[in-house]
Amino acid sequence: MTTAPAMLAPPEAVPQDRMSNGKIGVTCMIISEIAFFGTIIAAYLFYIGRDINGPYPQDVLEVSVAPLKVLFNSIFLLISSVWIWLAIRSMRAGRMGAFIFWWALTVICGAVFLVGTGFEWYGMIVDDGVWMGTNLFGTCFYTLVGFHAFHVTMGLIVLTLILVLALLGHVSPRNIEKVDLVSWYWHFVDGIWIVVFFVVYVFGNQPIQ
Amino acid sequence: MSTQPHDEHGIELPQPTSAPMFTAFGFTLMAAGLVTNWVVAAVGFITMMCGIVIWFRNSNPDSREMPAPATDRHPTPVVPKEGGVDHLLSDAGHRARIPMEIHPYSAGIIGGILGGAVMSGFAVVWGLISHGSLWYTVNLLAGAMLSGYADMTTEALCAFRTEGLIVGILIQVVMSIGVGLLYGVTLPLIPRMRLFFSAILVPLMWSGLTWASISIVNPALGDHIEWIWFIASQVVYGVVTGWWIIRSEKIGTMQNWHYLERIGVETPGAREMGADE
Amino acid sequence: MSVLQKPAGPPAATGPVPFLSRMHEWVTTVDHKKLGTMYVTCGIVYLIIAGLEATMMRWQLAWPGQEVLSPEEFNRLFTMHGTTMVFFVGMPILLGAANVLIPLMIGARDLAFPRLNAFGFWLFFFGSLLLYFSYFGGQGLYGMGSAPDVGWFAYAPLTERTFSRGHSTDYWILGIFVAGIGSTATGINFIATILGMRCKGMTLMKMPLLAWIMLIDSVLIVVALPPLAAGQIMLLFDRLLGAHFFDAQAGGSALLWQNIFWFFGHPEVYILILPGFAFVTEIIPVFSRKVIFGYPLMVAATVAIGFISVGVWAHHMFAVGLSPMLNAIFMGSTMLVGVPTGIKMFNWVATMIGGKIRFETPMLYSTGFLCQFLLGGLTGIFLATVPFDWQVSDSYFVVGHFHYVLFGGLVFAIFAAVYYWFPKVTGRLLNERLGKWQFWLLLIGFNLTFGPMHVSGMLGMPRRIYTYHLDRGWEFWNLLSSIGVIIQLVGFSLFAWNVLHSLFKGRIAGDDPWDAWTLEWSTTSPPPAHNFDEDPVVHSRRPLWDLKHPDDPDWKYE
Repeated sequence: MTTAPAMLAPPEAVPQDRMSNGKIGVTCMIISEIAFFGTIIAAYLFYIGRDINGPYPQDVLEVSVAPLKVLFNSIFLLISSVWIWLAIRSMRAGRMGAFIFWWALTVICGAVFLVGTGFEWYGMIVDDGVWMGTNLFGTCFYTLVGFHAFHVTMGLIVLTLILVLALLGHVSPRNIEKVDLVSWYWHFVDGIWIVVFFVVYVFGNQPIQ
Repeated sequence: MSTQPHDEHGIELPQPTSAPMFTAFGFTLMAAGLVTNWVVAAVGFITMMCGIVIWFRNSNPDSREMPAPATDRHPTPVVPKEGGVDHLLSDAGHRARIPMEIHPYSAGIIGGILGGAVMSGFAVVWGLISHGSLWYTVNLLAGAMLSGYADMTTEALCAFRTEGLIVGILIQVVMSIGVGLLYGVTLPLIPRMRLFFSAILVPLMWSGLTWASISIVNPALGDHIEWIWFIASQVVYGVVTGWWIIRSEKIGTMQNWHYLERIGVETPGAREMGADE
Repeated sequence: MSVLQKPAGPPAATGPVPFLSRMHEWVTTVDHKKLGTMYVTCGIVYLIIAGLEATMMRWQLAWPGQEVLSPEEFNRLFTMHGTTMVFFVGMPILLGAANVLIPLMIGARDLAFPRLNAFGFWLFFFGSLLLYFSYFGGQGLYGMGSAPDVGWFAYAPLTERTFSRGHSTDYWILGIFVAGIGSTATGINFIATILGMRCKGMTLMKMPLLAWIMLIDSVLIVVALPPLAAGQIMLLFDRLLGAHFFDAQAGGSALLWQNIFWFFGHPEVYILILPGFAFVTEIIPVFSRKVIFGYPLMVAATVAIGFISVGVWAHHMFAVGLSPMLNAIFMGSTMLVGVPTGIKMFNWVATMIGGKIRFETPMLYSTGFLCQFLLGGLTGIFLATVPFDWQVSDSYFVVGHFHYVLFGGLVFAIFAAVYYWFPKVTGRLLNERLGKWQFWLLLIGFNLTFGPMHVSGMLGMPRRIYTYHLDRGWEFWNLLSSIGVIIQLVGFSLFAWNVLHSLFKGRIAGDDPWDAWTLEWSTTSPPPAHNFDEDPVVHSRRPLWDLKHPDDPDWKYE
């Protein structure tokens, strides 16, 4: 330091590798969504077994049969994650035809899941007479499953929009980043369903001792 | 700091757009519809959809940009200052962390123990003089932690009590060492009149604090205390501890040590090696 | 520096711009500086509104048995005062300041998502209007309700349909829900900006500390605000669809709401105070003419505060009867926050020690912040102790405590920031003399208002009562508090005058009025729309220091 010359050349600044803004943004959005769902799930877990009047989940969700029905339904949603992954892969490789095929398959599977949820709700509301105000189970069930279905619906709208645009030829491999980010959101919706499934149909549906 | 010119097609900024405002307004109207009328919500939904469509067209396939508006105002270039940097200490540079030299912690601990010992002796002498009891002062001090002591008579407090002796000594030792350490750390920061600080100022402030809080902290002591003696014993502590710390030799802090020294490498020549870098 | 290159573009318009097109420009803008200015302006307007609400409450409480306000009006006032101060004063001012400063400090052109940023602002703006609309539209069944009257933390079951008729509570839910979505979006935006848009050479450890603190702050926003939104939706379902989340008669739990609310609520107070830390962390070194003490430790302490703050929420609930084990755990974690906060306090003081301190207005406010925040922090440690909390929970002691933190701390830091960065945003300096008068008036008024509250709280005065009897011994302390408000009002009026006057007649600031070191001072005041004529490249934490002192640059030491 004693022999410091008057002017010194600073070390060259090295450019850094960074995640793109979009990826950081969507990651943060997914984190905030997890915090949101986490709260509702915590409320669901908190109220398991605290109902003071029926119908109880065990009566409505039919211990042995219904979970299988829902499982069948869920498989459509979960497998759509695979289709959307294949779609993105095709797009990366520049095969737009394959992209449209897999993407359409994703939309169909998502729609089937929603229809399945609709049937389940119809059965519960009309046959079992369970709605939000019936008891704690109704309150928690419709809130949690409803918010998940709402997110699936939002996702489906965006997916369909991209499908239409792709069919009209407005989507090209240079849009890969945005389309990829939509697929991240879809994976999140699927992932959170696994948690919801276990909470609602497994933990919340234990046979009464 | 330096700058690099931006790439050749000039600076581009995103175009102003009303889309965010419409979307937000529509969303708020939808919320308001829940507590007013469904028509409000419907209008809100339409407004929001309009906003979203404008937004979508604005950012797809590429964000709509515009060249930055021209301006005549440019920053005045930053010029080097004349005459170099004022240094905090003449030889340590402006990044020195003061104090550069401190009293060793051991001085604080030993000073505290010494001060505490002399102080206890002084206080016990007061007990002997005023009540003719060796244990009176100790019991009063112990009253800070032993709840029953507040209601005792003076005779009871003069008697020997094992738990009183143990607790009293414990309080005295912990407090002496703690305050000694604090003295050791703070004294180097006092520019002048350190002995005054340690022997008069702090004992007086401490006595004031004690006076204000004694009825809560230690009712036993509060009922029987004689303030002149209390302050005097604090001063005795301050004098002894302060004197011990001030006469101890200061040592430099680690800030100027080489990294290898700080992590404890004792290879001869390591420092010179590092200095070449 | 190489020759400046003029940005190409349409020639600047000459002559005065008509009012309507100027308004249009503000409404459609996506420029972070303009949005930030709008945020802060709205925040200050709400500060005045909420301050007047508090003034009315202090008037009512100045003497026992006053009849200035009815009990119902009093309930609405303290609810609106708290809600406004937290969501529509604290949040917009900090988001606005960060909006202006983050891109300028890290050498970026704008935030990562400029339109999303505008969206966030407008959500806040309309959300706050929706809440205040309740004064007119909250009238519900039986002519009950007007503004919300359930307290800013809206405890169940007070908020259930049975007890809160009409729509006032719904307005509370919806207004804050809308604004909360906006804040979350802006938090995401800040994270993407700070992580993705720093200028060349600015590694994370060369970032200004304000950017670091705002990064952690944004993470807290993203993690803590969605749970509140979820809780509010549950409450809304309870009220509109007849769900039973917080309805104890059907097995619901009021405790769940407390857990959800405070899981948001405690990180929220750190979301509010961290930007205050950020402002003084930037200001103190400049006015002490020294480099900040312990930069890496400052970063570590910020991260630690972020982590610990999501694990302390139940200390608001010591009095509801949790298990002793839980109480002990949360008492421990709350005490733990004191450690990183203490590190920060010591670092600020150590920065000042031995410095060539210039007590200009920003520095005065920062010093005021240090002292008052310290007091608030210490009473916080008291309150973290379960037995003590049981004694004074929900008393005026608590009110005194959090006003020392949020008013004595945050508002003083905000004033420091306003005086410090006003010249950068407007090009003109605020008046120093008025600023110093305002500082001393506020300092005296603040301590006179909130200091005695500790005493009246210890004497047993509960918060949220609209009046009290003469025989309790509270009247002297309440009178003192109310007198303090008058002094504060004078201080705030001086500030309003100072801003309005300086906006048109203030001294021209120049690029760098404080001889500071971070990137925002290297561009013009106010900065052009594109912020920097050329992209900056930095080599150290204080790029302008390197330019001003080429013989002794910082990068040699970092």
